[in-house]
Amino acid sequence: MVVGDYLLAGLVAMLTGLDRVALVQIMISRPLVAAPLTGWVLGNPMVGMEVGMLLELLWLGRLPVGAAIPPDDTQVAVGATVLAVSMGHLLDLNGMPLVILSVLIAIPLGKFGQVFDRLARHVNDRLAVSGHNALMTGSIDSFERYHLFGLASFALASLATAVIIVLLGSFVLYFVAPLFIGAVREAGLSLQYSLILVGAASLLGTINVNRSISLFCAAFTGTMLVLWLR
Amino acid sequence: MKEIRLSWLIFLRIYLRSFLLQASWNFDKLQNLGFFYLILPGLRHIYGEQIPVDVRQRHCDYFNTHPYFAPLVAGTTLRLETLSISGEEPAVDAETYKNMVMAPLAAMGDALFWGGIRPLAALIGLLIASQGSLWAPLVFLVLFNLPHLLFRGIGLVLGYVQELRAIETIQKCRLPDLAIRLKESTTVLIGVLCAYLAFKGCEHQELSAIWGFVQLPIVLLFAWLAHKGVTSLFLVLLTTSSLLLLALLF
Amino acid sequence: MSIVLARIDSRLVHGQVLEAWVPYVGADCIVVANDEVAVASFQRMVMQAAIPSSIKLIIGTLEETACILKSAELLKKRVLLLFTSSDDALKARQLGVSYTKLNLGNMHSSAGKNRYTCTIALDQQDIDTLQKVEDQGVTIVSQCVPADREQSWHKLIRSGGR
Repeated sequence: MVVGDYLLAGLVAMLTGLDRVALVQIMISRPLVAAPLTGWVLGNPMVGMEVGMLLELLWLGRLPVGAAIPPDDTQVAVGATVLAVSMGHLLDLNGMPLVILSVLIAIPLGKFGQVFDRLARHVNDRLAVSGHNALMTGSIDSFERYHLFGLASFALASLATAVIIVLLGSFVLYFVAPLFIGAVREAGLSLQYSLILVGAASLLGTINVNRSISLFCAAFTGTMLVLWLR
Repeated sequence: MKEIRLSWLIFLRIYLRSFLLQASWNFDKLQNLGFFYLILPGLRHIYGEQIPVDVRQRHCDYFNTHPYFAPLVAGTTLRLETLSISGEEPAVDAETYKNMVMAPLAAMGDALFWGGIRPLAALIGLLIASQGSLWAPLVFLVLFNLPHLLFRGIGLVLGYVQELRAIETIQKCRLPDLAIRLKESTTVLIGVLCAYLAFKGCEHQELSAIWGFVQLPIVLLFAWLAHKGVTSLFLVLLTTSSLLLLALLF
Repeated sequence: MSIVLARIDSRLVHGQVLEAWVPYVGADCIVVANDEVAVASFQRMVMQAAIPSSIKLIIGTLEETACILKSAELLKKRVLLLFTSSDDALKARQLGVSYTKLNLGNMHSSAGKNRYTCTIALDQQDIDTLQKVEDQGVTIVSQCVPADREQSWHKLIRSGGR
């Protein structure tokens, strides 16, 4: 990858990061969109798609309720895609094992996103005071400016998260991947399914539907039987 | 005094501004600046350039609701403001109205959009993605955003036209029950998706499909753990490390 | 009847309660004990609109809800009880509502209050009132949503507000 690619990925990180809370919220921040988008600007949408699928399923049931800040699934998606695309040829790896390794490394690093997000919102605490004061003294133009400044702190927090995931992730991937790649190849498919299962399970465990378990079991068994007997 | 009417151009500006509601989201007063920013075009039309200090004060205070429901609140708030300066006394004033509706509307939005429509749209996207199609993200975006973008616009107009009665209209729609129907569909679809992926996996490994059923107890165990508050991050680390260990050993 | 969760939340019925707590504790009845809400018909309507029909909602003054909670009406229900302030929580306890654990959810800041977590702001009077509640054998914890870690309120107070 060349420098231009990284800059583009950074732009995607900021745009999708803004979509999480601050701007528009048309859900380009969901892993299912953010990861293929990142893959697309880097010239490999399919890798992004695979990253996006795994992460989307994993975090399907997570709700951003109230003031609680979730781990940054958007930047995990963007970061994991950048890792998978950029480290592939360096490590002579490709396909699902690479995607899985990148995702597994990026997920814990997503915790940094919470830290930066919290920081951005605290910066906005000060902006909000300045904005409120500006409004009370009657200068509406500067009130609007203060409000929009908030976008900058959210964008920077997203960018910082993506950069950390990619930097630390590359480091880890470069040194750890050779040790584990055999095991990942062996366990590849079951690793992929385990992520899917965890996603399905956390959705079922937290959704507020009374009969969620029975509905799930019925649908699962039904589909299995249909596919099996077909 | 004749009641001031807001033009469609002002509604359009408020609609567009609603996409910036949370630009300065902060821990202290949450969407306070955002809400004032949202209704500013309307307030300027009602009060002119000199918006009275008490109006500025009351609409730049603690505010937090679901972002997609904010246009509805903005519509009613502006209508109540116009009513009160034209001398009519609405049953509830604008400030009280805001404080009363923001939390319940937030709950409705969380249930409908975050809990209902989004997972369902994402799952349909995932089913398409599992076929290897790159259309999946686009399908997800369209399925989610059609109701989303419409809802913002309808909410704004409904809130303005029907003022306090807009809540009755919303109540008649039984959105929380709709959300539950959507969530039920989601649980069914996730069962279908899991079974499909398990079947494909078994085929790929040339195993009998009966092995796919092994997934079921595992999912149920994990669901129970998730219900007990175990985070998905922990579950991921647990399963992957044990799988990797198994692969290293054998 | 069992009170599966008693919570102080100034936002009363909102997303954290309906989307996170209701499924977590398996509640099928929400009781809002608050003197002001009980008389505001518009607010009652908004709250009713936000709740799925599978969940029973009871809104009443502290005294009314205390009576209902003690009666046989909710015998088989799993109740989620909501207050807006520490004062109300204490009053309910004195009126004989026998919750044994109190969850501090959202108590947002106003003049003269110190912020202890992102969502909890208390003044000295709140702390004294909560102490009285605790003296009656109630465990007081802060936990915004089930996914957060439960934290004893003493630890919170010791950490100091700002």
